[in-house]
Amino acid sequence: MTTEQNPQVFSDATKAKGDAVIELRGVDKFFGDFQALYDVNMNVGRTEVIVVIGPSGSGKSTLIRCINRLEKHDNGAIRVDGIELTEDIRNIQEIRKETGMVFQSFNLFPHLTVIDNITLAPRQVRHAPKDQAESEAMKLLERVGIPEQARKYPGQLSGGQQQRVAIARSLAMKPKVMLFDEPTSALDPEMIKEVLDVMVELAKGGMTMIVVTHEMGFARAVADRVVFMSDGRIVEVGTPEHFFTNPQEERTKLFLSQIL
Amino acid sequence: MTTAAPPIRTHTPTEWVRRSLFKNWWSGLITVVLVPLILYFGYRAFRFVFVTGQWEAVQVNLTLFMQGTFPRDEQWRLIAQVLLFALAFGVGAGTRGAAVRDAAEDAGLPFERENLLATLRRMWSLVAFIAVLLVIASLDDVGGFINPFLVVLGAAIVAYIGTQARRLPRSLRNVGWLVTVTLLVAGFQVVSGFDAGGWVPLGIVFGIAAYSIAPVDRLEASWLRVALRIVAALVVALIIRFIYSAVDTTGIGWDVWSGLHLTLMVSAIAIVLSFPLGLLLALARRSTLPALRWMATTYIELIRGVPLITLLFMGQFIFGFVVPANIDLSDITKAIAAMTLFTAAYVAEIVRGGLQSLPGGQTEAGQALGLAPPAIMRRIVLPQALRAVIPAMVGQFISLFKDSSLLAIIAILDFLRVRNIVHAQEAFRGVGIAETLVFVAVGYWAFAFAMSRESQRLERRLKVSR
Repeated sequence: MTTEQNPQVFSDATKAKGDAVIELRGVDKFFGDFQALYDVNMNVGRTEVIVVIGPSGSGKSTLIRCINRLEKHDNGAIRVDGIELTEDIRNIQEIRKETGMVFQSFNLFPHLTVIDNITLAPRQVRHAPKDQAESEAMKLLERVGIPEQARKYPGQLSGGQQQRVAIARSLAMKPKVMLFDEPTSALDPEMIKEVLDVMVELAKGGMTMIVVTHEMGFARAVADRVVFMSDGRIVEVGTPEHFFTNPQEERTKLFLSQIL
Repeated sequence: MTTAAPPIRTHTPTEWVRRSLFKNWWSGLITVVLVPLILYFGYRAFRFVFVTGQWEAVQVNLTLFMQGTFPRDEQWRLIAQVLLFALAFGVGAGTRGAAVRDAAEDAGLPFERENLLATLRRMWSLVAFIAVLLVIASLDDVGGFINPFLVVLGAAIVAYIGTQARRLPRSLRNVGWLVTVTLLVAGFQVVSGFDAGGWVPLGIVFGIAAYSIAPVDRLEASWLRVALRIVAALVVALIIRFIYSAVDTTGIGWDVWSGLHLTLMVSAIAIVLSFPLGLLLALARRSTLPALRWMATTYIELIRGVPLITLLFMGQFIFGFVVPANIDLSDITKAIAAMTLFTAAYVAEIVRGGLQSLPGGQTEAGQALGLAPPAIMRRIVLPQALRAVIPAMVGQFISLFKDSSLLAIIAILDFLRVRNIVHAQEAFRGVGIAETLVFVAVGYWAFAFAMSRESQRLERRLKVSR
């Protein structure tokens, strides 16, 4: 393996607070001949909020998509809440039950109403009775601020509302970890805040989160650690203060100078 | 300041003529050439229908066209079938309307129930065809097309009563659907009768219903849930079987069905059977198991490479070899099987197109929620994929309906082939040949057009709800 190992990054990346909910050890990922992830190591502690930033094509999305096996990693080990991710479909299902994911393009189910979107997984996977699933869905909709939209179809909602429904849908499975894949990138500017507000609330409530985003304000305010990725590698990891005021790596400095 | 309403553009007739017919020199030229042609052919068509046409061939043989050689003294079965189907149509439409209304209410959208006139206009081709039939039947009574007015009137009344199912409370929606299916099966079996296996269709339907509504959600162990559901399904199916054993089972099997009745029934049966088969083939073709994928692909490509006529001929021989020797398949059974297998291959390709059109994010969202692959397919992928292919699918079913006229070449007396009998009669040898053809063509068109319109409407409505 020709990966350039950076011991500084490695030790930083493994310095999780508390016990680790997510562990990545030497994860490689290939798309054909193209290597998307090089020897990624990371620990995420319980209630920790990690923000992953980096230029497009740097492997941020691939990284979190490997955690719930939307992509299969080729080398290394991934553990979520003590379960090792293997070929075994039951393991994968267990991990997916514990891991909520919010997508850039929402991916709500357009043929189902908002409340049916939210209750689908609890009813199908956890076999929750209908009335119980619906009352819990209503609580979640109140939490994300749109209980009045319960009986509408996703196509009738604004982008910001759709993404909040998507967050509620993930939360309905009571996940231990939430993964956010550029949740605000497809939104009109005036709708970004309403989604970020929900995410901030979630972080304050003690949810463990990995957030891929370009929202530096969110990173500053909420992140426990910021991870900078470039070309499939974790280049630098640090607290927001350290990361934004005193970056160590040239590539980090270059990236920050381009976006700030 | 009030905003001005957009100006309403009114045209005087002169203006309209100038704008639409003589806008520039070439549109004027087209008008000058086409209008006389249209008028001339319109005149000829009018004369053919009302003056020169020898419609006695249709008029005298109307019953023959409708029911072919179906035993005349069993005609009450056909009338009962029409009434039961009309009731099923009414209950189904009422239940469906109520479901749409519920959804609109929940979503806070306005809902306006379609009035009777709009329904009739929507199906105007069928209404027109029935009107033509009534007019022909009323010209004189030699046809013995017994009391067609009463039958049509009865069907209309029964269908209207059925639509009152929309007043049922929400909790009885599924009962409405169950009643609809039961009436359809009853309507079929009042003609066909049933032997030992007659309970199977309703047994399956009610079994599935029992399986899905069995109140076992709160149970912990998943094997216990499944086991109890299966027990519920079996118990219900057995009850159906018991009820059937207590009922008169005689009927007129489809060996002697013919005419328009046969054409409609064969098409309906082949449509109902080819859809699930095509669906399974499409899923098999996308399966991760190579053997399954290979078999489905081979089947689809083989069938699609062979003309339907060939399959119909081959079916008459081949199906006899594949079933045990003690089972004697009728020609019509074999023909239905051939048409079903043929259409299923096309349905499979259409469904596959729908599956491919779905964005990958939908499956990923289901996976990320921890749904198992079958649940993703059933709850997320298929509902959307099937909606996307409604127009293509209905197009295929319309083809199937029209292709049922090929049954004539394997000596089955379908709607089109009734003409052979008519023109073998002394009175109509070489008389009214064009007239009977036009009549049959109008009959096919009325149903095909109604199907096409329904598909457009379905498409529009599903688009609205998303």
